[in-house]
Amino acid sequence: MGGLVQKVKLFGEYIPWFQAMRDKGAITFDELGLPTPKTEAWKYTKLRDLNTDDLVIEPSNFLSEMRVTAEEACGCHHEDGGCGCHHHHGKGCCCGHHHEEGDCHCHEEGHVCECRQKLQVPFDAYVIHFEKGKMIPPFPDFPRGVEVMNLMEAVITEDAKEYLGKVADIKLHPFAALNNAYMEEGIYLCVHKNVKVDKPIVLINHTKSGEENIFFNIRNLIVLEQGAEAEFVEWYNYTGAVKSRYFANLVNEIVLGKNAKLSHYKLQDEAFKANHIALSVVKQKADSNYHNFCLQRGANIGRNEVKVLLNDENASAEVNAAYIMSGWATLDTTTDILHLSPRTYSSQLVKGVVGGEAKGVFQGKIHIAQDAVQTEGKQLHRALLLSDTAEIDVKPELEIFADDVKCSHGAASGELDENQLFYMQSRGIGREEAKQILIDAYLNEALAKVKNPEIRAWLSDYAHAPQE
Amino acid sequence: MSKTPLLEIEDLYARVADKEIIKGFNLTINEGEVHAIMGPNGAGKSTLSNVICGKPGYEITSGSIRFKGKDLTKMSAEDRAREGIFLCMQYPVEIPGVAVTTFLKHSINAVRKYHNLPELDTMEFVKMVREEGKKLGIDNEMIKRPVNVGFSGGEKKRLETLQMNILKPSFAILDEADSGLDVDALKVVAEGMNALRDGKRSMLIITHYQRLLEYVVPDFVHVYADGHIVKSGDKTLAAEIEKDGYAEYTRER
Repeated sequence: MGGLVQKVKLFGEYIPWFQAMRDKGAITFDELGLPTPKTEAWKYTKLRDLNTDDLVIEPSNFLSEMRVTAEEACGCHHEDGGCGCHHHHGKGCCCGHHHEEGDCHCHEEGHVCECRQKLQVPFDAYVIHFEKGKMIPPFPDFPRGVEVMNLMEAVITEDAKEYLGKVADIKLHPFAALNNAYMEEGIYLCVHKNVKVDKPIVLINHTKSGEENIFFNIRNLIVLEQGAEAEFVEWYNYTGAVKSRYFANLVNEIVLGKNAKLSHYKLQDEAFKANHIALSVVKQKADSNYHNFCLQRGANIGRNEVKVLLNDENASAEVNAAYIMSGWATLDTTTDILHLSPRTYSSQLVKGVVGGEAKGVFQGKIHIAQDAVQTEGKQLHRALLLSDTAEIDVKPELEIFADDVKCSHGAASGELDENQLFYMQSRGIGREEAKQILIDAYLNEALAKVKNPEIRAWLSDYAHAPQE
Repeated sequence: MSKTPLLEIEDLYARVADKEIIKGFNLTINEGEVHAIMGPNGAGKSTLSNVICGKPGYEITSGSIRFKGKDLTKMSAEDRAREGIFLCMQYPVEIPGVAVTTFLKHSINAVRKYHNLPELDTMEFVKMVREEGKKLGIDNEMIKRPVNVGFSGGEKKRLETLQMNILKPSFAILDEADSGLDVDALKVVAEGMNALRDGKRSMLIITHYQRLLEYVVPDFVHVYADGHIVKSGDKTLAAEIEKDGYAEYTRER
């Protein structure tokens, strides 16, 4: 066993409309296959480094919950066979801690495991925890009008039925097709009409990387009804073996109703040998706004792809990103903004810092449909190369079928400015420190786009070059 | 009274790329002295200050530079600054994205650390910058802006002077080789330099015109042409040059 395609037993096979999507995903992936260097959308991303042969898929939490018997139970204070939480306790707690017999409190109300405590964001938020792609209850208490469930629950209640699988087009994206095939873990978030969520909703996926190279998929469905407002944060991180080659394959489907506003932030801080491929597809109704920022700093191959469909008039999207890397990593930022109605607006600022033998990729597409007049699309990518062996591939694409539009794109790359470095050195600042200050400043221009100041400060703390 | 030498340059030869710019340069500056170097355009005046401060790209082919008895040529640019050399630049560099306060804090703490002094905490630092800034007419808004970005000529000079006043160097080089600075900006720098004159600190003023020397009166004036000093004197030499120009010295070689 191993590889991307494996036979695994997943929960919910008895739900026809849902299982059909999985089957379709598996078939589509089989047809598309992995992208090759000849696949236009992936030609700069070195997928040959993906190393999928020994990937391991962990058994479904939803099924194992039902499987737990008295003997297999965690041996803590439960007597009726299943402890009620979603974890299989044979190997210790979900959080990676090995609890003494009778000492598993991980699902007790209010209990936060030691290791989990490190994974709190430094701002007030509703935090949902995932471990290796699997959700760990409980959920925080959400205010009225904010509905959050795990994806399977939303499938059973059919809350997810209207949009699930209908926002992201898997025919165009093999990894999204693969994600369909394994669809089980993830969240369903729905913010009701005119509800403004008071705090950011944060999804933290922590991977405790060990001997095995885990392969996991997460699918989130986020629906903001008319006039709703929310902030959604994704944070992917790890502890444990730095060289673990686990693979995270993620898809977000996002629907913004009329006049809805979503701020979507992401920090990709995976292990250096891990792979992280993510696709967010956003469908926007009139007057809605999507504000996106992604900081990538980890992974061997890290790809963050954002596709925005500005379906109705006066919808607007800002897709900004920063990446910082060294070693041999490939970090890919791919955007695809489709202006499909008149008077729609988009702007993109992506800045990257590339050192070592790393490779940065930016593919940015702006499509303006024939009747999308008086539309504005702006795009700027800038990269700082710290070594002679660092590489950057940039592919801006403008497809403009309408007259009377404003569209611009720009790309630039350069090195650290010797005059600036000397100026700082002549004031006693060490050369390495001076470089770090300049790198921070370089990325700060992109980070300044983050609207929420607390989240901006949090992300800024990670906008440093990782140790090689 | 015996004098303590601070900066000693002996028979210095230096080049940029393949071009020899400094050719047999000798100068000793003792504690408390203010020297001025005057020279025609293209004489290599800025090269001299860059070589003393350790800017990359300049190669010393022979000769020596000693500061407080230590061999400067073996020191990194940052260590020279930490030892007490300050270069007040002709064209201060713009650093987008780095606030003046951030820059100053890194600077002062790097120097303090070198001298085994504790780093300043934010409160102490802010207090000091405000006090020193006030003397120069630098307001809080200005120190929040990125270093030199969008600054007027006068503001840039004020910021240079603020840095000098904070770092309190034992040796300051004022490089105004060719700049057409307005009189107000000039006065700001001159006042800053005069405030540092305490009989112990030394200065080197590199200039094309005598103008600046009316504000910071030097103890010694040297005429620099073709890579070395061709004539030395007191402040009256500056007035002579102002009257007669450099032609006499450039012909001599």
